[in-house]
Amino acid sequence: MAKPDTSGPDFEAGLPLLSIRGLGVRFGTVDAISPLDLDVHDGEFLTILGPSGSGKTTLLRAIAGFQPPSAGRIEFDGRDIADLPINRRPFNTVFQDYALFPHMTVRENVGFGLRVRGTTRKLLNDRVDDALGIVGLEELDSRYPAQLSGGQQQRTALARAMICEPRLILLDEPLAALDAALRRQMQKFLKSVQRQSGITFLFVTHDQSEAITMSDRICVMRAGSIEQIGTPRELYYRPKSRFVAAFFGASNIVEPCRIEESRDDETVVATPVGTFSVKGPPPEDTSGLALAIRPEAFGTDAASRVNSLEFEVAAVSFVGSETITELRHRNTSQMFTMKTRSDPAARPPETGSLLRVGFDPAECALVTGAES
Amino acid sequence: MTAGPGRIRPSTGEYFLWGVAALFIIVPLGCFLAYGFFSVVDNAIVYRPSIGNFADLLSNASYRATFLRTMRMALEVSAINLVLGYATAYFIWLRPPGWRNFLVIALAIPLLMSYIIKIYAMRGVLGTNGLLNSALMTLGIVDEPVSALLFNLTAVRITLSVVLLPFMVLPIYIALERIPASVLHAASDLGANELQTFAGIILPLSLPGGIVGAMFTFVLASGDFLAPELVGGIEGFTYGRLIFSQFGLAFNWPLGAALSILLMCVALGVIYVARRLGNPRWQR
Repeated sequence: MAKPDTSGPDFEAGLPLLSIRGLGVRFGTVDAISPLDLDVHDGEFLTILGPSGSGKTTLLRAIAGFQPPSAGRIEFDGRDIADLPINRRPFNTVFQDYALFPHMTVRENVGFGLRVRGTTRKLLNDRVDDALGIVGLEELDSRYPAQLSGGQQQRTALARAMICEPRLILLDEPLAALDAALRRQMQKFLKSVQRQSGITFLFVTHDQSEAITMSDRICVMRAGSIEQIGTPRELYYRPKSRFVAAFFGASNIVEPCRIEESRDDETVVATPVGTFSVKGPPPEDTSGLALAIRPEAFGTDAASRVNSLEFEVAAVSFVGSETITELRHRNTSQMFTMKTRSDPAARPPETGSLLRVGFDPAECALVTGAES
Repeated sequence: MTAGPGRIRPSTGEYFLWGVAALFIIVPLGCFLAYGFFSVVDNAIVYRPSIGNFADLLSNASYRATFLRTMRMALEVSAINLVLGYATAYFIWLRPPGWRNFLVIALAIPLLMSYIIKIYAMRGVLGTNGLLNSALMTLGIVDEPVSALLFNLTAVRITLSVVLLPFMVLPIYIALERIPASVLHAASDLGANELQTFAGIILPLSLPGGIVGAMFTFVLASGDFLAPELVGGIEGFTYGRLIFSQFGLAFNWPLGAALSILLMCVALGVIYVARRLGNPRWQR
């Protein structure tokens, strides 16, 4: 089978920078994290993505040392650090609430990590200047955190975490408190800082679009376990479970699925709404097998597509750049969603009319597992 | 006066509140201030304003000595309590949450008890047959009971320190409680050891609470007359007792009022300074 399309650099080569083996966190009788394995490679931007309660922040806190694990090993650069106290772990954290020291200026905050190491004044000032330059806060260095905007506080926290030149920075939902416009700006900024510095970022978020735009790889967590790890494209186009499919917006789920035929890089499945061809081999475990189709996979140019089926139009809503069409399958009454790019010239289909739509094998995926 | 836009017209209720404030706070305070400028001739108050009381007060060496001794005592009590109170608050803060609430309540309960009873209790503790002497003898530190623990200025210092301790602990504890856990994590995360985290983060962030506590302690200790009266003996004659003697014994209310005005000015000065120090630039 061909290697899936990976746009980012190949990080798999060589030993991982951070290697987690059998790491579990237990609160009383509840497993916040069931023992899991995770490798973080040098220089990559790895995002841990999951809904609240999935254990993503607990995992980050266990790595940082704020949450003692109940089992497992954490190896950094080949050395087990699970028992190292927080202040001796060789990486730094950017906190969700920034956790800036309120009684220190921006300059003092940023320099803190060097100051506690007894760095000389000259070197400290130079390094702080460099870090402030990277995050663009040279002008505000004598302000106190209370005098900064959310984005400026965020930049201060990042500079503070970078000052000791760690090879790994942990980021715990650092953009959650920012408004949407600033969040997009900071996403680009964080990504560019990560690219230029070459520091490995382990980033936690619950926002799938944020994960997609920033990450080299995404690790999706659910209920304390890892659901799937892969590049943004893999998770987006080739989700393995219903949970991942739903999380990334592949909201049309067709079930049950029966495998009719599987050859080379294609699997043919029979479903209540028709027989379709899907890219890729079938999963090994086919319990609860279903077909997930992205809403934007559907196109009205059914004749040029491999798969096609006929619907009755239930509702059309224009939402700006996109038009969302609710479709009802005639025999099963199952509802589907189609998202198309809005076309000013085209007349939207009439409610109640019949519409034949098609989709490509690469834009649907076979998924397993329980409903999300 | 017409109520323009953006200005809420005072309601009848608000006038009532102003009336209450005037009747119970402003008028008594005004009377009291006025008395400081009257004088006494042949045991009768002469209602003619003069600054004679203040001139007396500044020229009389024994008043000055009492004032300075009392201020120093109050400062010492504040300093002792800052150390004891900080240690206590820090200890409570480090306990698990359930314990913390219990200890804070236990600390606050004495504030609801009668002040005189607490001082009598301290008298029992400090006396020759008291708890402190028994403890010292049991530990073999002294052979026979120490009588120097009662009826002197030291007794006043100890009593006020104990009785006023909650006023120091609570503001420090509140300041400690307000430090987010993530800020402490951040300090460790950046490589600070426990001592560096304490000296660089915890102490500067909680010291404003200590300044507020020191202000409470100083103001309460400098004006107190019951504790010096009951445990201070002759040596423990303080400014509070001096004021009391003018009102209760000498019947020189104008001089008593003048002495009180001076004390009030000191207290206001201390509160002003504490407000500046207790509200540092980074909080504003």
